[in-house]
Amino acid sequence: MRPKLGVPIVLATVVGLALLVPRFGGDYYVHVFALVFTNVILAASLRPSLTCGQLNIGHSAFMSIGAYTSALLAKNLAVPFEISLVCGALLAAAVGLAIGYPSLRLRGVYFAMVTVAFVEVIRLIAQLWVSLTRGMSGLSGIPKPSILGMTLTTRASQYYLVLGLTLVILLVLWKLEHSRLGLIWKSIGLGDNLAQSLGVDIARHKLLAFMLGCFFAGTAGAFYAHFIRFLFPPEFGFLMATNILVYNYVGGRGHFVGPVVGATFLSLLSEPFRGSPYETIFFSIAMLLTILFLPGGLITLPRKLAELRWWRTASSPTPSPAA
Amino acid sequence: MLEVENLWVRYGTVEAVKGVSFSVPAGSIVSLIGANGAGKTTSLRALTGLVKPGAGELRFGSTSLVGLAPHQVVGLGIAHVPEGRRLFPKMTVLENLTMGAYRRSRADVASTLIMVYEHFPILKERGRQLAGSLSGGEQQMLAIARALMSRPKLLLLDEPSMGLSPIMTAEVGKIIRQINALDVSIILVEQNAMLALTLAQYGYVLQTGQLVMQGKAQDLLRDEGVKKAYLGL
Repeated sequence: MRPKLGVPIVLATVVGLALLVPRFGGDYYVHVFALVFTNVILAASLRPSLTCGQLNIGHSAFMSIGAYTSALLAKNLAVPFEISLVCGALLAAAVGLAIGYPSLRLRGVYFAMVTVAFVEVIRLIAQLWVSLTRGMSGLSGIPKPSILGMTLTTRASQYYLVLGLTLVILLVLWKLEHSRLGLIWKSIGLGDNLAQSLGVDIARHKLLAFMLGCFFAGTAGAFYAHFIRFLFPPEFGFLMATNILVYNYVGGRGHFVGPVVGATFLSLLSEPFRGSPYETIFFSIAMLLTILFLPGGLITLPRKLAELRWWRTASSPTPSPAA
Repeated sequence: MLEVENLWVRYGTVEAVKGVSFSVPAGSIVSLIGANGAGKTTSLRALTGLVKPGAGELRFGSTSLVGLAPHQVVGLGIAHVPEGRRLFPKMTVLENLTMGAYRRSRADVASTLIMVYEHFPILKERGRQLAGSLSGGEQQMLAIARALMSRPKLLLLDEPSMGLSPIMTAEVGKIIRQINALDVSIILVEQNAMLALTLAQYGYVLQTGQLVMQGKAQDLLRDEGVKKAYLGL
């Protein structure tokens, strides 16, 4: 394991680099990294639900709810950004409650099916409720984000906003994961019958994990709406939902940083393919390679390499035929 | 303290428990013995709400347990050590213990932990180790210790001697006596009838879901039928 001092140093370096992006990168990189952070929020907020053993493939729907809610409130009713963002997140959590409550008894693939169906339902609503969402012509003219009445006009200022949001959300999620609540979530994922016999109210805790994820997905969606300023229903479809899941698995399920690493790595690498049919192929290949060579995800890569090196030196005097 | 009257449980079309009644006086150890499939484990699972009884009355003090969810039953002060230990092998010993006390406040947990460590010093030593890396006997100790973390009034022990060496079995027996001395009533389900009847004050013999015999533990130990069928004498 890494020495204790290493963690703060790595953390400070990463945050420091992130702060420097607008200084040295152009608007393009600022744009790309702002979307990377949105994906980090989405991936990390799916983790509690996954830890409880719920295969949740519905995250994009909740992002969509947050995005449309915040965009419509700001555009039609001139609601300030901070308030519309919170409204979007709250509505996503409320819908999460409505969907989560009846499907709590479902496990594994059955729960996954409900969430997938829900993604389609939300996409269709956004597509067909033309009078509200403009349907397939897309919702445009969304105001830029603002803080305390000050509009964030530059890309850089919006970048710092999402960076701040991401750090706060990651801190909250990290604290929760290392609290007793996190231990309970883990216990439900490891053996829900056993957790139940110890007196854990598993239904309530699963629902809480699910709703928490919905809330932060809604937050990410609300930022996204005011950043891109154009919403198009098919964007929040099945593909995005599976991508969020893939971030978690490619990054690694074993540690809190897994989804953060996965989301950053894959969003940067898939940037050239964004929006093209190759995007799906890219994510499929990434997932397959991970399953084959790094079942523990990218976060296990350093250990894997160390093992390889050890194996090579250990076996060098008498080369063994084993591969 | 606990009254079970005419309990029926079925899994699909199979009737696992057919009209069993027993009672546990406060402060006592009562054991349910019988062969595989006699309905011992199912009776415990009905008590804790993990399976729904088809019929019957379960009363803990003055509260009916019928229809309660498992977490509500634990809240009343009944802790269950399930068959085969059933720890979280990928959690540390300390995390497993914390899970046992999950319904209680932080300060409470700390004081209970001190009490539990007094009885199980080995667990204090192994606190940061993964539960899956403990020996069989230590795992059983951890399972019992975890149940104690909820400060139960009634402890349900399902086959605590399963898979343990004779020395470890004796050790578990000693622990069960110690726990009982803390004023915790115990239901002990065992295939090892000798262990069960030497520890208990009262015993019930189950066979294919029915109660076939009951009596004081010493009397059962001397009974020719019990000797032949369960003690191998």
